[in-house]
Amino acid sequence: MRVPIRMIGIATTFFWIFLIAFFVSAVYSVKDVHFDFGEPQMDVTSDNKVVFSLPVSIANSGFYNIGSFNISTEISDKEGFTITRGSTFVPVIKKNDVVTITHNMTIDLNDLLQQDKNYLFNDTELKIYEAVSMRIADVIPVQASTNFSMPWGAPLYNFTLGEPAYAPYNLTHFRVTIPISFENHAFFDLVGDMRIRMYNSTGARVGRGRTSLEAYGNSPYNGFIEFYVSMTGTTPTGRFEVYFSTSIFDYGPLVIPYG
Amino acid sequence: MADTGNNFKKKIRNFTFKALKATVKGILFYAIYFVLWMFLAPISDMVPGFQQMIETFVMVYILLMIVGELASGTIFQYFFNVAKALFVIGYLIFSLKGGIFGLTFQNVSLMVDLRLFLAIAMLLSLLGLAKSVLQAINYMNEKAEYTRI
Repeated sequence: MRVPIRMIGIATTFFWIFLIAFFVSAVYSVKDVHFDFGEPQMDVTSDNKVVFSLPVSIANSGFYNIGSFNISTEISDKEGFTITRGSTFVPVIKKNDVVTITHNMTIDLNDLLQQDKNYLFNDTELKIYEAVSMRIADVIPVQASTNFSMPWGAPLYNFTLGEPAYAPYNLTHFRVTIPISFENHAFFDLVGDMRIRMYNSTGARVGRGRTSLEAYGNSPYNGFIEFYVSMTGTTPTGRFEVYFSTSIFDYGPLVIPYG
Repeated sequence: MADTGNNFKKKIRNFTFKALKATVKGILFYAIYFVLWMFLAPISDMVPGFQQMIETFVMVYILLMIVGELASGTIFQYFFNVAKALFVIGYLIFSLKGGIFGLTFQNVSLMVDLRLFLAIAMLLSLLGLAKSVLQAINYMNEKAEYTRI
């Protein structure tokens, strides 16, 4: 009986040494894994979607491979509604290897505006959930996650149309000039067209106009739009319908009463 | 009278030998812990209470090891070995919180899944427990055989 017991003892000791040595070396090698997050970049795709790109470089100088490396990001609004999520997966990062990946997230502003037009006109805060997970030495799953808020700047913050100024153009028409002002609080430049339709108090369209917009990110915009309306149909009160068509989103009508 | 004196001397010699063996084992175990701690030290900065957790484990384990060694040659040695194995199992389960180890550092939550490590450690501890039980049975068997002769 003594020999089998001794054999169990030897085997147990051997496996304990192996387990502890493996665990300690795996934990120790984590300090030789370096992450380098580059400058985030923004681009607009051909189908008018905003793509955020975050270059990430992972240098694995540890003793073991890193398996199932995953970065995931989820952006949601204040109520917790998910706006977009993105995930980047690397199956294996071999030891003594450097891997550079680009973590992409796509936001379709048109979809976003369908849900809530406030993103265009009001500044708000977006919640961001970021998680990085991996398998140290291919067997020990580790996940680090964090939550933070990011301010959302409205591209048409405080959009206002001033009082229309009428000037006689000819015997039948007025030339109408309407001041436009807003602040582009967004990080992107707003380039596109703004169309306006003017309706009188009976709901009949009396004129329409178009102007181009070019408002740089984080800067105010002041301009005006000119168009012609018939003298007979014009009333002191009515409404404007405003349509925006930019490289990033299309929106309209925005109804603004006048008079 | 001379036999009683010789027996006493033999007992003292045996006990001194056991104490010496226990001391050497304890020092060796502590030295291993000391070397391994150098590798684990970076974690203690991030995980609050990690050093205390490991030190408590090492202290109790060394204590049980020394007491077990002093009681060698008796059935109590195996009791202490069983206690040691049960302590390892219990301490690993409680300190690793079932294998999912989580902590929050500033605004970052870190989660480490040590279930595989825990499962293997449990199996090895159970093997150690089984070995101690078998040793106790073997000891009793041998004692019974000697008594019969």
